[in-house]
Amino acid sequence: MTPGRLSCLIDVETFVDDPTQIEPAGPPVLESAPDDFAELYRNSSREIFYLTLRLLGDPAKAEDAAHDVFLKAYKKWADFDHHASPRTWLYRIAINHCSNLRQSWHNRHIMADSTDTVLDNAVASTDSPFRILETKELGERIQAALDQLTDEYRLLLLLVADQELSYDEIAELTGQSPDAVRGKLHRARKAFTAFFKKTS
Amino acid sequence: MKYEKKFIRKEQQQVSESHQQQQSAGKEFGSVEEMLRYDVQQTQVPPDLTHRLNQSLSKEPSAVRRSWWQRLWGK
Repeated sequence: MTPGRLSCLIDVETFVDDPTQIEPAGPPVLESAPDDFAELYRNSSREIFYLTLRLLGDPAKAEDAAHDVFLKAYKKWADFDHHASPRTWLYRIAINHCSNLRQSWHNRHIMADSTDTVLDNAVASTDSPFRILETKELGERIQAALDQLTDEYRLLLLLVADQELSYDEIAELTGQSPDAVRGKLHRARKAFTAFFKKTS
Repeated sequence: MKYEKKFIRKEQQQVSESHQQQQSAGKEFGSVEEMLRYDVQQTQVPPDLTHRLNQSLSKEPSAVRRSWWQRLWGK
């Protein structure tokens, strides 16, 4: 392995007869919403669900949280004035919602034993055994490494995972300057890499 | 000469097979972001989430966006 690179070994040959048979699920369709909100859901539901999943560490709680985030956003949608991008606005709602959930002792207590179930529910039933194995193994290791980080580093890494968010938007969402975000991200990457290697 | 060519071809084939095996046996990421982005792409939105949200939104009043003057005058 090249130094500084992260690898995850997966036994592909054993589980896949024909890799072309793996088909991604279609985009989720929100039928009972106006077109602009339905488009926002279609373009950002995966990223928002991923954020809630990795912040809460439990697929069932992540689904509930994502549901509540989009419901809150829908209720405020008529008054949203586009000073921020809709995606950034949605992220703010999701971060605040997850932060409130994580503050309760009960929630933190349940999170501790959720590692084994992470992503079991998140993988579509149409996926091949290979895909489940791959997603589960990588997902579990990522979750384990993220759980070792401080809240701030975890959030910064999860936000930078969304290619559509700029450093300026991440800075705005986390209440700091873009330069501070760059510096902290550098340290967060190093910490994550160290923890991730320990999970192998 | 003929034997030499055959030997080289066989060696090339072995190198190629070994390379293919390495590619299929592991996944390597150039950065943390790359790994997380891959993880995002592997994550499926639970179909239940969309179904539940459709049900919840159908009980809510319409969220058609108001124009700036409607928001200004509180209409």
